[in-house]
Amino acid sequence: MSSSGPTPAGNPQVKALNCPSCGAALTLRSFSQAVTIVCDHCHSILDAQDPRLKILQKFNVETGEDPPLIPLGNRGTIRGAPYEVIGFQRRTIIVDGTPYSWHEYLLFNPFKGFRYLTEYQGHWNDVSVLRALPITSPGASTLNYLGETYRHFQTATAETSYVLGEFPWQVRVGESAEVSDYVAPPRVISSEKTGKEVTWSMGEYMTGSDVWKSFKLPGSPPEAIGVYENQPSPLSADVTSVWRMVGIFLAVLVVLIIVFFAMAQDQQVFSQSYTFNTNNPKGEASFVTDVFELKGHTSDVELESSADVNNNWIYFNYALINEDTGHAYDFGREVSYYHGYDSDGSWSEGGQKDSVTIPSVPPGRYYLRVEPETDYYHGTIYYSVTLRRDVPQLSFFGLAALALLIPAGFITWRSMNFEHLRWAESDSGDPSLLGAVEKIRDSMQGDDDDDS
Amino acid sequence: MIRSALLIYGIAVLSAFSLAEYRGWSLNRVSEIPNVPRSVRDNPGSYRSVYGYYHHYTGGK
Repeated sequence: MSSSGPTPAGNPQVKALNCPSCGAALTLRSFSQAVTIVCDHCHSILDAQDPRLKILQKFNVETGEDPPLIPLGNRGTIRGAPYEVIGFQRRTIIVDGTPYSWHEYLLFNPFKGFRYLTEYQGHWNDVSVLRALPITSPGASTLNYLGETYRHFQTATAETSYVLGEFPWQVRVGESAEVSDYVAPPRVISSEKTGKEVTWSMGEYMTGSDVWKSFKLPGSPPEAIGVYENQPSPLSADVTSVWRMVGIFLAVLVVLIIVFFAMAQDQQVFSQSYTFNTNNPKGEASFVTDVFELKGHTSDVELESSADVNNNWIYFNYALINEDTGHAYDFGREVSYYHGYDSDGSWSEGGQKDSVTIPSVPPGRYYLRVEPETDYYHGTIYYSVTLRRDVPQLSFFGLAALALLIPAGFITWRSMNFEHLRWAESDSGDPSLLGAVEKIRDSMQGDDDDDS
Repeated sequence: MIRSALLIYGIAVLSAFSLAEYRGWSLNRVSEIPNVPRSVRDNPGSYRSVYGYYHHYTGGK
């Protein structure tokens, strides 16, 4: 009929009783600690302190309506200590007419006392009662506990809608309490106000797999749905370190570009001025330059074309040809400059200079084949061609900087989106940038509605 | 995990940037023609550019 209290190891030691209402066997696991015990057969809530187990309340639910995911009597290890599941309750809040329910598992260890596991849509919290009072800010938008600031998340009236097992307080189905949650992921501090009594507790987020591992439960836990109020962001810890790393990379990039600019030859290897008589359409326009040498390692060559075009254009067919190998780099460039004045004022297009970079030209002896083209009978066009060797390119600096910033921006966006999803469920508003953007958008829509 | 991946990614970006600067890569592309005959030096008109006879924009409003 009886035995000694539960022990932290080995088989649970329990006290067996019978329900005075239906006669079903009851199991008492926390002994003198239990104030009420629930018959899981007829759903009578009994006074565990009364030797005759006085019936305090009967509630109507179907047997097995809401079976606990961790069966009563199961033992698991939380923070290194063994605990036994002795009670289970479902609590419900109603927000905007929609009921939201979560489950609370009461855990007991004869040496450590009570603690709770709460579960909502696959999100778990390890909860214990606070020993010291947190300091609440004026307006209760934040509170401070042991130097950490917690933001108010939600306040609602929670009603107990289902109970099983035993409890160290006078539990009743239908009893209600005002609950407020303050979050600093992965922790949450909750206050429960019943009449004049306020109980503070702290929860720390656990994954379902952690709970399953702790209690050695078969199968796998239900998948977590959505983002929970104190669920740690998988990326929040990374955002700062990622930006720090990107900052270091950008600094290295700046050093590299300085080094490349300092070490680049940037040497003029050819420059010559020419004239193109457009009044002589019959002559061969193409010609070749003298041979010049490109020294050093394989690098770029920058060709600048300059022409005194005025409301006119000139096009150059260029071929940079290696005298020894016959390998040619063939390209065309146009210099055009137009300007004028109309009803909008003065305008201009183009310019009298053009430059192009020929990539990765090996060292060697080269010459240019130049073939100018333009409209005929526009007089003589004076132009010049200048070649520079090993000219540093800023375009890659910009591309590299962009390539470094993209992943950091993406991770930041993901993290902000996670916080947005978290605070979308709060009644304290969304503090993230996305929330601010949404508020601006909503206010603008409101203005439009007012205007219409 | 993310930091390790970013470290590898950042080193790859900086290496590619260094290689691009050293080898003189460019966002421009030019046509490369192998084995242009030596006679081009004596007779430039014998070579025809792949960009020849391009239809030119004459500009202006």
